Amino acid sequence: MKPQVPNDFYKTLFERVLDGLAYCQMIFDKQGNPVDFVYLRVNKNFAKLTGLKDVVGKKVTEVIPGISTSNPELFEIYGRVSRTGKSEEFETYVEPLSIWLFISVYSPKKGFFVALFHNITERKRIEKNLEDAKKAAQNVLEDLQVEKEKLAESIAKDEALLASIGNGVIATDQDDKVVVINKAAEDLLGFTNEEIVGKSFVQAISLRDAEGNIIPDAQQPIRLALISGKTTTTTTTLVRKDGAKVPVAIIVTPFKLNDKIIGAIAVFRDITKEKEIDKAKTEFVSLASHQLRTPLSTINWYLEMLLAEDKTKLSDEQKEYAKEAAAASKRMAELVNALLNVSRIEMGTFTVEPEPINIAEAVKAVILEFEHKISEKKLVVSQVYDPSLSKIMTDPKLLTIICQNLLENAVHYTPEGGKIKVSLKRKGSDILITVVDSGIGIPKIQQPMMFGKLFRADNARKKDNEGTGLGLYITKAILDHSGGKIWFESEENKGTTFYVTLPLEEMRKKEGTKPLSDT
Amino acid sequence: MDTHVKNYKILIVEDELPLLKVLTDKFTAEGFTVIQAKDGSEGLAVALKEHPDLILLDIIMPVMDGMTMLKKLREDNWGQNAPVVMLTNLSDSKNVSDAIASGIGDFLVKSDWTLEDLLTKVKSRLGLSKKIGQYK
Repeated sequence: MKPQVPNDFYKTLFERVLDGLAYCQMIFDKQGNPVDFVYLRVNKNFAKLTGLKDVVGKKVTEVIPGISTSNPELFEIYGRVSRTGKSEEFETYVEPLSIWLFISVYSPKKGFFVALFHNITERKRIEKNLEDAKKAAQNVLEDLQVEKEKLAESIAKDEALLASIGNGVIATDQDDKVVVINKAAEDLLGFTNEEIVGKSFVQAISLRDAEGNIIPDAQQPIRLALISGKTTTTTTTLVRKDGAKVPVAIIVTPFKLNDKIIGAIAVFRDITKEKEIDKAKTEFVSLASHQLRTPLSTINWYLEMLLAEDKTKLSDEQKEYAKEAAAASKRMAELVNALLNVSRIEMGTFTVEPEPINIAEAVKAVILEFEHKISEKKLVVSQVYDPSLSKIMTDPKLLTIICQNLLENAVHYTPEGGKIKVSLKRKGSDILITVVDSGIGIPKIQQPMMFGKLFRADNARKKDNEGTGLGLYITKAILDHSGGKIWFESEENKGTTFYVTLPLEEMRKKEGTKPLSDT
Repeated sequence: MDTHVKNYKILIVEDELPLLKVLTDKFTAEGFTVIQAKDGSEGLAVALKEHPDLILLDIIMPVMDGMTMLKKLREDNWGQNAPVVMLTNLSDSKNVSDAIASGIGDFLVKSDWTLEDLLTKVKSRLGLSKKIGQYK
């Protein structure tokens, strides 16, 4: 027996169902389009849900103005359901009421429908938030992806850059461990990336000095850069993995982050070609000067024989001519020597090799060389030496050239009976050599040009043709390279004073291939 | 003319003939007996045959250069002590240090030396200025 359902069961159901319920009659127009509907019965929750009151008997278009425009689908669906009898359910946003509704519709009889409303505004809001969040996450992911790609591209570019740099590049951290080595460095060293990265630069890579000795740890360019924080440039010999020696130029730059040194970058350049070119140039100059000197020697010696009193009887006139030729030839020999020195200076191939030298003795020796000329011109030469100065570290050849130049000028340009004073004293951390003469002096206008190549002041040129114009240039170049200085004071027809300083500590050692020649 | 020098034999090895002639003339005039060679190979042969008291040796020469001749000379029993004065127009650090290593000591640039000074140098090398006997 079917359980009896009380009569008011449906009524209670109708009233109590949590969703809104509306029983309506569909209104069609002349063409049969659903255009409106009338509320026949609604439950309590309908009002609660929609906020609409007293809708029974009224048309929806009256109750919700603008509904046909905002929600035409309502009419379409209600119309369809009430006509076909087929139930439907849908979601829609009812704009005039600002609510999202889930609507189930069925048709109890033709032309009528019952709609069950469920407020899904909250759900929709949550859904939207989720959707927004998803979109936001998606955007972030996309942005991240873009950044990742940009980074990858940037890294690839850097790697390509590094790989294509022709010079070897090795970067180390602050403890001298290699972190990066580029292809050019691998090729140059003969080591692979794996063999070097992580190892101590100084230990893995063998650098040698000119004599072939391993450079001591403390003087290795990477150490120097890391400790001093300064860029170090040096040329040295690299020993490859296979033992071959390669001359290289290395520039090491420390790099800093927030003022703290976090590593160093060494850039290597194979200078074999450059060295070969330098060697060729040097050999050319040597050979050229040798070729020039040979005929000069011939001229000098034959003239010397010619002028030897006992062997050849020359008339006074012949003697004069021979003497002129001899003098000119001697000048030429001096010029060749000077040019040889100049070319070595310009090519930077001259050596500075300091050794302990008694400087007073050296200066005295040079003065002695000019003894003959000095007594011939009846010059009075006084010498003052600071007794506390004994040995200094300097290159004897270069010191001789400097002194010869100063003395030569003083003796040559001081007229008969003149005075020359040579003094040697300490000046701070330097030695000061002073040569004072009472000679023809240097015209003020021409003073700035005195150290120029082949320059001779007008009054000097008027006096004679003998100077090369290279002495002061060479002297200054030597001093520039070895940490010394030269300057002068002069007044025309009164005299000149030349000052030369040399560092007491040590003439800066300079690697080169040839010494300068003295006269 | 210094009679002390009469017994001394000087070998001059020089490829530049005018220089060879004038050097020979100078030393002969002074009283030395001079023997000549035009290149290192000839010079070596003559030196080993004649055992001169001093050798004036040029560097740049054809056939065999001065440094090579010197090296070979030093391999000989007599030759290892023979007094040698290098005469050259090169001023070249490698050659100078090689020369010093070979125990020469005198390395003179021809265009910077007069014949007279050269003579004085040779005489002092032979100990003649001190009238000491034959230089060993």
